[in-house]
Amino acid sequence: MSAWLTTLHQTFIETGYWRQMLLGLQNTIMITLGALCIGVAFGAILAICKYFSEGNRALRPLEILCDTYTTVIRGIPMMVLLLVFFFVVFSGTRNKLGVCILAFGLNSAAYVAEIVRSGINAVDRGQMEAGRSLGMSKLQAMRKVIMPQAIRNILPAIGNEMIALVKETSVAGYVGVMDLTKMGERAKSITFDAVNPLLVVAVTYLIIVLGLTRLLGTVERRLNRDKR
Amino acid sequence: MINVKQLTKRFGDLVVLDRIDVEIDKGDVICVIGPSGAGKSTFLRCLNMLETPSSGQIIFEGNDLTDPKVNLNLHRQRMGMVFQQFNLFPHMTVMDNLTCAPIMLKKEPKEKAEARARELLRRVGLEDRADAWPSQLSGGQKQRVAIVRALCMEPDVMLFDEPTSALDPEMVGEVLEVMKNLAKAGMTMVVVTHEMGFAREVANRILFLSDGAIMEEGTPQAIFQNPQCDRLKGFLAKVL
Repeated sequence: MSAWLTTLHQTFIETGYWRQMLLGLQNTIMITLGALCIGVAFGAILAICKYFSEGNRALRPLEILCDTYTTVIRGIPMMVLLLVFFFVVFSGTRNKLGVCILAFGLNSAAYVAEIVRSGINAVDRGQMEAGRSLGMSKLQAMRKVIMPQAIRNILPAIGNEMIALVKETSVAGYVGVMDLTKMGERAKSITFDAVNPLLVVAVTYLIIVLGLTRLLGTVERRLNRDKR
Repeated sequence: MINVKQLTKRFGDLVVLDRIDVEIDKGDVICVIGPSGAGKSTFLRCLNMLETPSSGQIIFEGNDLTDPKVNLNLHRQRMGMVFQQFNLFPHMTVMDNLTCAPIMLKKEPKEKAEARARELLRRVGLEDRADAWPSQLSGGQKQRVAIVRALCMEPDVMLFDEPTSALDPEMVGEVLEVMKNLAKAGMTMVVVTHEMGFAREVANRILFLSDGAIMEEGTPQAIFQNPQCDRLKGFLAKVL
């Protein structure tokens, strides 16, 4: 046990590498949060566009556009998408972190869009009709009646998406972004300690995911307070 | 008040309503009866355009609702609707169910909307359930709240789509009682129902709808005591 602690001390403290690890963690969190914001916002917009364009002939091009987006994005591995962003769309960029956030965000949006769409569809049709029969516009009924109920269906799945996203950001190192995994890799090659850097990286991801799970549980309970 | 002209509704090749003409006057209490699949609910849902008619016109207080240029939302505020499945908003308390539309659409102050809601709740005997969630109410209570929700918009006409069909038998009475009082107070009502007793007692006119057409129409007396067409005779023999 004490031998292990000594190795840990050598690997992270004596080399001062703990600072790099923290920086990596910071980058991972920034990519995740940034991508999540883009993903949820853009995904929700996609889903609502799809909801309003379904069965409306004038908005058919919009529907096709949304469908194409989700199909293409979901059909391409995140890794490939990241490479395309770095070496084709934004080749020669200096703001690596920004491009990374955008790539993960746009990828996430496709999944979020499907989650939100199915969450909206799961709300009973009668709810929209009741809202409309009172004189609400489709948008008003959406905001006041459908979305608050849909969020309950959506939240657990968004939680899964968040967890997947945190872990997926670990491929960012592939294009030279200094995220947690990349920093762990570097610590490994500098200190020749193969075990501990990876162990620390793995445990850190686990802690983040556990934290997210608890947070989601709390939010879910508060949303369901009207259920008997 | 509502003038239905040559109303036709098709779902694909299936003609559900075939060139229906009806005139509904202020103060009318009209019950629509008929076998299931006759198009009763579709007819009612066309009146406030929840179903878009394939052809024909719905003239409500001088406005043609089938005209795409007309602001439907504005006219729907004056047509209350009560659904078979209640369709209360489960994420809102009873009070919020009642006040959300008046506050949002008529820009009423919260106090005024709540005062009216309380008064109406008192009239249907639910004044103590204002803070309950819909999931805590019985079916009969839910439907009474749903009626009050529609009334809170102070509509000119109330549409009822089989309001008692989803209720346990012992709860049917309390809902019909509320509807009777509403009719007595002079509300214009169109009621799709299987409650023949209610139709006989409360309606001033009955429409017998079968195979997408109004086969017979008249006072409760004429319909129940002296039915003319064979379809109506057969229907009454089954339900009475």
